[in-house]
Amino acid sequence: MNETRQVNILMVDDQPAKLLSYEAILANLDANLIKARSGREGLELLLKHDVAVVLLDVSMPEINGFEMADMMRQHPRFQKTAILFISAVRMSDLDRIKGYQSGAVDYISVPVVPDVLRAKVSVFVELHRKTRELENLNRELETRVEQRTRQLQESENLLRERADLLELASEAILVRDLAGVLTYWNAGAEALYGWDRNEVLGKPVHEILGTEFPVGSTSSESTLINRGRWDGNLVQRTRDGRELIVASRQVFKREAGSILEINRDITSQIRAEEALRQTERLAAMGRVAGIIAHEINNPLEAITNAFYLLRNHPSLDEEARYYAQLGEVELARVGHITKQTLGFYRESQHPVNVPIGEIIDDVLQLQGRQLLLNRISLDKRYLTYGEIRGFPVELRQVFLNLISNAIQAMPNGGTLRIRMGPRWNEGSGRTDLCISVCDTGLGIRPEHAKHLFEPFFTTKSLKGTGLGLWISKGIIQKYDGTISFRSLIYNGRHMTLFRVILPGINPVLKDLEYSRPTIGEETARAPFGH
Amino acid sequence: MDTDKTLILCVDDEELPLALRKLVLELQGYEVITACSVPDAMLALVDQNVDLVLTDQVMPGGTGTELAHAIKKRWPDMPVILISGINEIPPDTMYADLFISKVEGPAAMCAKVSAILSAARFSLG
Repeated sequence: MNETRQVNILMVDDQPAKLLSYEAILANLDANLIKARSGREGLELLLKHDVAVVLLDVSMPEINGFEMADMMRQHPRFQKTAILFISAVRMSDLDRIKGYQSGAVDYISVPVVPDVLRAKVSVFVELHRKTRELENLNRELETRVEQRTRQLQESENLLRERADLLELASEAILVRDLAGVLTYWNAGAEALYGWDRNEVLGKPVHEILGTEFPVGSTSSESTLINRGRWDGNLVQRTRDGRELIVASRQVFKREAGSILEINRDITSQIRAEEALRQTERLAAMGRVAGIIAHEINNPLEAITNAFYLLRNHPSLDEEARYYAQLGEVELARVGHITKQTLGFYRESQHPVNVPIGEIIDDVLQLQGRQLLLNRISLDKRYLTYGEIRGFPVELRQVFLNLISNAIQAMPNGGTLRIRMGPRWNEGSGRTDLCISVCDTGLGIRPEHAKHLFEPFFTTKSLKGTGLGLWISKGIIQKYDGTISFRSLIYNGRHMTLFRVILPGINPVLKDLEYSRPTIGEETARAPFGH
Repeated sequence: MDTDKTLILCVDDEELPLALRKLVLELQGYEVITACSVPDAMLALVDQNVDLVLTDQVMPGGTGTELAHAIKKRWPDMPVILISGINEIPPDTMYADLFISKVEGPAAMCAKVSAILSAARFSLG
C-alpha cells in the first residue's frame, strides 16, 4: 500500500549541486527522492528500491547516462522503468534518446526549467502509480479467482462425498419426477431390486417395482404432493419377481418437481414378526387344547364308565342293552375326536418298530368303502417294508389324514397313487424313508398353499376341523422328518402330491424315548403297547 | 374283608368319576377302596394291604406322578398306574408303571390293570 502512495525517484548526477536543485524542484511531488552520485551508485540503489522514475544525467564520468540506461534495459526488472535523461541539446544525444523506442523514456534539456522537470517527472510518477494500482488490482483479482476456485473445488468435493455416501447406503435411494420417471438410482437400489441403474433410469418407477400402495397409489401420492412428505410401508417386487415389503420415506421437492425416496427392506423383519405371532398362536392353542382335552376327557370317562356299567347290568333287557351300546359307540367317537384333535396322545410310552407299509394298508382297508363309492382306483407300490421306530397310533394318524384328504379331493373318481421307497440322504449319510400320496383330484389353489399346514385351515368348509395337516406336520417333525406338498398338472389333470420323509429306516428318535422307569423295571414292564 | 380278592386303591379328586371307576373295577371282581388326595392315598396304603394303585394325574395338592414317586420310595414293588384326561404324557411319568388315558375306555383300563397285576405277581413269584 505504501509503495503506491510514496513512490521513489532516483536522481543520478555527478554534481551534488545539481542533485540539490532537482531535490528542491521535486520536493512537493510527495515522492521519496533518492540521490546517486554516479551510474554505479545509481544501479546499486535501483536494486534496493522500487523506483518509479530515474532522473539520469547523460554526461557523467565512468558510466555515463546512456551506458547506465543500457544496463538497466538489460535487466528484466528495469526494462520498463521510466527514464528521464537530462542532457544538453546535442543532436547526437537526441537521436540516441529517440532510439529508446520502447519503455517510458523522455528527456529534458539543460538548462532545466523547473516546471518542465516537475511536469515530466510527475507524468512518470503518475504512470507508475497507475501501473502499481493496476498491478495490485490484478493481484487482488487473481487471489479472488483463486479463492473462488478453491471454494468451488471444496463444494464439488463435498458434493462428490455426498454422492459417495448415497452409494454406500444399503437402503434403496432413488429420485423420480412427478410422472414417476427415475432420474437417480443408487447402488442400494441396485442390490435390493436387482435392476441396474442403466436399465431403469428414464423409466417409470411403479412399472419397474410393481409397487402396491396400502391406500391406493393416487391418495398417497397426493399426500406427498400436498404435505411434501410421505412415510409408510409398500409392497414391491424385485427383478426376479420376489415380493418385498419396504419401509418408504418420500419427500417432494416442489421447486425441482422431483420426489426423493428412501426404501428400506423390512421383509425379513415382518416375516419374523409374523412367524413369532404364529408360534405364539400355536403355543397358545396347544395350551388351550390341553385344557379342553382335560376338561372333556374327565367327564367323558365318567359317562363312558356309566354306560359300561349300564350295558353290563343284569337287570337290562336286550333292547335297553342295545341302547346303552349305541351310547357307548357314540362316546367312543367323542373320545376318538379328542384324541385326534386335542394333543398327540400316545398309547405306549416306548417307541416300537412300526411297519409303515402295514399302517398304510390298514388305513386303505378302513377307507376301502369310500374308495369304492368315489370310484377311485388305487395304484400302490412299496419298494421297502418301511420299518420305523416310533408310535403306531400317531404314524397311523398321519397317513389316515393324507389318504382321507386325497379321497375327499376326488369325489368324482380318480387315481390314488401311493409310493414308498428308501431314499439316500446325502446330508445325513443315512437312508430315509420316502412315502408319497398323490391324488388326481381338485388340486390346491396357490393362495391356499402357504396356509396348508396351519391350524384351523380347511378347504372343506364345515366338514373339516382344519387340524389334520397341522397335526400331521407336528408328528412328522417329532421324527425329524419333513412333510411337503406339490401341485402339478399332468396330462391336463391336476395332481396333488404329499411327500413324507422319515429320516433313517432305523433312526435314532429325538425326544421319543422316554426315560425308562428306574424302579420296578423288571417287575412290571408293561407287556402291551408292543 | 375277603383276603383272596385283589385290593385296588383308586385315587381321584372328583367324586363321581371316582365312584364310577370303582364300580367298573368291582364289576371285574376287584375289591376297591378310594382316596381323594395324595395324603389320603398314603394313609390308606399304610392301613391296608393294597395290591395296585390307580391314580388320577391332575389333582389339587399333589399330582399322580408325585404320589407314584412317594409310593415307590416306600413300597418299591407296589404297581402304580396313572390315569389322566390330559393327552400329553407328563414328564415325570417314569415313577409310574403305566400311563393310560381316560379316553381309552373301561375295557382297555381293566385289561391294563390286569396285565400290570399279573406282571407284578409273576416277578414276585
